[in-house]
Amino acid sequence: MSSLAPGASRPRLSGLRIDPSVALVVAGCVVIVLGAGMVSPGVLSLGYLLQQLQIAAIVGILATGAMLVILLGQIDLSVPLTITGTAIVSTSLAGSGNPLLETLAIPAGLLGGTLIGTINGLGVAIFRIPAMVWTLAVNAMLLGMTVFYTGGFKPHGAPPPLAVLMAHGRFAGIPNAFLLWLLVGAATTFMLKRTVFGTYIYAMGQSQRALFLAGAPIGRTTVAVFALAGFLSSLGGLLLTGYANQAYQGMGDAYLMPVIAAVVIGGTSILGGSGTYLGTFVGALFMTLLSSILSLLQMPDAARQIIFGGIILGMLLVHRSRRAA
Amino acid sequence: MAPLIELTAVSKSYGGVPALTDVSLTVEPGAVHAILGENGAGKSTLMKLLAGVIAPETGTIAIDGQVQRFATPRDAARCGIVCMFQELSLMPHLSVGDNMLIGDGGAALALIRRGSRRAARAVLDRVGGQHIAMATRIADLPLADRQLVEIAKAIGRKPRLLILDEATSALTAERVETVFAVIRALRDAGCAVLFISHRMYEIDAVADRISIFRNGRHIETFAAGTRSHDAMISLMIGQSLKELFPPRRDPPPVSTPPILSVRDLRWAPHLNGVDLDVRPGEIVGLGGLDGQGQQHLMHAIFGILRRTSGTVTLEGKTLTDLTPGRAKTRRIGLALVPEDRKTEGLILDMTIADNLRLAGLSRKPFGLANATDATDAAIAKLIERLGLTYGRLSDPVKTLSGGNQQKVVLAKWLALGPRCLLLMDPTRGIDVKTKAQIYRLLQDLAGEGLAIVLQSTDYEELIHLCHRINVFYKGRVVRELSGAEATPDALIAASLNVSAEAA
Repeated sequence: MSSLAPGASRPRLSGLRIDPSVALVVAGCVVIVLGAGMVSPGVLSLGYLLQQLQIAAIVGILATGAMLVILLGQIDLSVPLTITGTAIVSTSLAGSGNPLLETLAIPAGLLGGTLIGTINGLGVAIFRIPAMVWTLAVNAMLLGMTVFYTGGFKPHGAPPPLAVLMAHGRFAGIPNAFLLWLLVGAATTFMLKRTVFGTYIYAMGQSQRALFLAGAPIGRTTVAVFALAGFLSSLGGLLLTGYANQAYQGMGDAYLMPVIAAVVIGGTSILGGSGTYLGTFVGALFMTLLSSILSLLQMPDAARQIIFGGIILGMLLVHRSRRAA
Repeated sequence: MAPLIELTAVSKSYGGVPALTDVSLTVEPGAVHAILGENGAGKSTLMKLLAGVIAPETGTIAIDGQVQRFATPRDAARCGIVCMFQELSLMPHLSVGDNMLIGDGGAALALIRRGSRRAARAVLDRVGGQHIAMATRIADLPLADRQLVEIAKAIGRKPRLLILDEATSALTAERVETVFAVIRALRDAGCAVLFISHRMYEIDAVADRISIFRNGRHIETFAAGTRSHDAMISLMIGQSLKELFPPRRDPPPVSTPPILSVRDLRWAPHLNGVDLDVRPGEIVGLGGLDGQGQQHLMHAIFGILRRTSGTVTLEGKTLTDLTPGRAKTRRIGLALVPEDRKTEGLILDMTIADNLRLAGLSRKPFGLANATDATDAAIAKLIERLGLTYGRLSDPVKTLSGGNQQKVVLAKWLALGPRCLLLMDPTRGIDVKTKAQIYRLLQDLAGEGLAIVLQSTDYEELIHLCHRINVFYKGRVVRELSGAEATPDALIAASLNVSAEAA
């Protein structure tokens, strides 16, 4: 069974154990980088690797939200249009020419994402609709709304300057985006490991019934997790807006798969209740490196999707056999 | 006559808990064989073995002298064994006719012949279901009619061994008599019938032979009418384990106002107007057959059930809109040890420490899980007091034995300092030593002034631990037993809703 690291005075759910899946993913990252380095030595440069961290931050922040929902034993399929919706709202406001609206661009985008998440949470917690169906329907409705709003054309507007600064800027040579991701990661790790809320998240993924009978607020926890996930999706969406310097239809579509893959590859159980943030962190790095290197090798997008899907299935099988053992 | 079925030294256990131990039993054709036993005596396991739902771990089942190993219920059906289970197995959205014809052994792709429909109709008429139309959806039928369809479906298979597990529980006496006439006709035609019922008068009416089971063992088999009801009940219960139970403390004086009062609590169809009073320092038992509303009452008090009617008052204050989260607050001070330790009481993959702290997390300052508070000290004391045996607190709770797991559940709730403790079958599947520890703890807690409601399927436990026992039948308290009148016989009689004199 699980063994705690020596000196851990207080046993925790996720513990300080060295997760084999984390080690596996880290090894995977190293293999990818070294392998690609042999084909094109530029990969091994510091500049290239820092750029990867910058891109990984977007996947990483999105994966943070997805992980929280998956820990509950649920899933959020509204991530793509939460990203696109946030981007459209904030670029519209930031490009409106009205100084007041321009300052509201980022708060409004984040608020919108949080609102979408709250709606997701209410559907799951109060109406007891399976998240897979509810969030998919919310995603479809958001798609309709964005098409209605933009008329199907590229939306007008400009990216909020702060989003551009966060996405492209550097502090002491380190990409701001990566620093933001570290901040989000540290806060999430603290929340999961040290707060009652975090304990409830894990416990709920294990046995909602037992947690309910222990007198924990099941409904509030569910809504809060979905709302937080919505917030993080829009934060990732803002970063993407800044990175792309624009909003466009379908900008979030390419992210659903890699984000869920990052969480699952990092060892979080798709059934909920177990997983570490460190796993999600390295999972996001792995997915980003894989994607970048496949495109560096001029792999067509279709082949990339097949490889992504294959890796997710493979990792699920690895985790399954590990649990069964 | 040669036996139709012969079980030899059959044993079966679930996760290390024995359900049947070394059972040998013969069933002869042309006889109705009743199986009697308390809840958990192994009756249902026996039926499932015969029906091929589960396989024995040791021992053999022989049919017509040939040893058989059933891999699936289909194998058993091929040998002419037809089982009607307690839980209805009809498909609610199909018609009566479709349900009766489904799975009758024909090839899956064969057309349904008109002849089989006519035969199904005839069987349904025979068991007294003339008023049921073949095209009616099962979901639209009342429970009694569904049972008739189920019985007709079983009989329509032309069984050699018909197993009826509480098959007539929802039928009125008149309908039961019609069904019994059919059963007797089947018996006279050479069919063997295994009959499980809690109703003594049904056993009297239809059984030729009777076998008593207790704690997974076959105790005795005898011809019907050779033993009195008292003798049969004694065999079902066995000798009491006097040394298991600590001496009972005196109940609080009757003048003590109750801390918890329930009035006319209803939750159709499971609770039909329940009254209950519990005083500080009192242990009140909830008894009766399984599923007569005891469990629902506990859930209703703890705020798990929605839309109950009636009132629950605590120290004179009416509790409304209760949820488990509110029920456990200091202001109210209720605690519930749920029925199923493994899925409701504990989160098995979490550590012992986390399970111990789970209920108390809501009281942590600033929502910080690691902040120490009074609950942690209480948990440490309770670990001592309960004698919890564990390796490390960081081990998953599933590594503990059943008894120690239950101690974790108890400690988790007692750490909150409740004023009223609701216990649902707290000693089910627990070793005798731990049972004795828990009994002593409960007596001590009552002595300290805690009000305890104990729901149990173990009659001995109720009789030796409780000051008063409320016996449930069909969602109501039919009798309250206390003091000298709380005897096993009286308890069983009350559970079966017959008066003690008649039983």
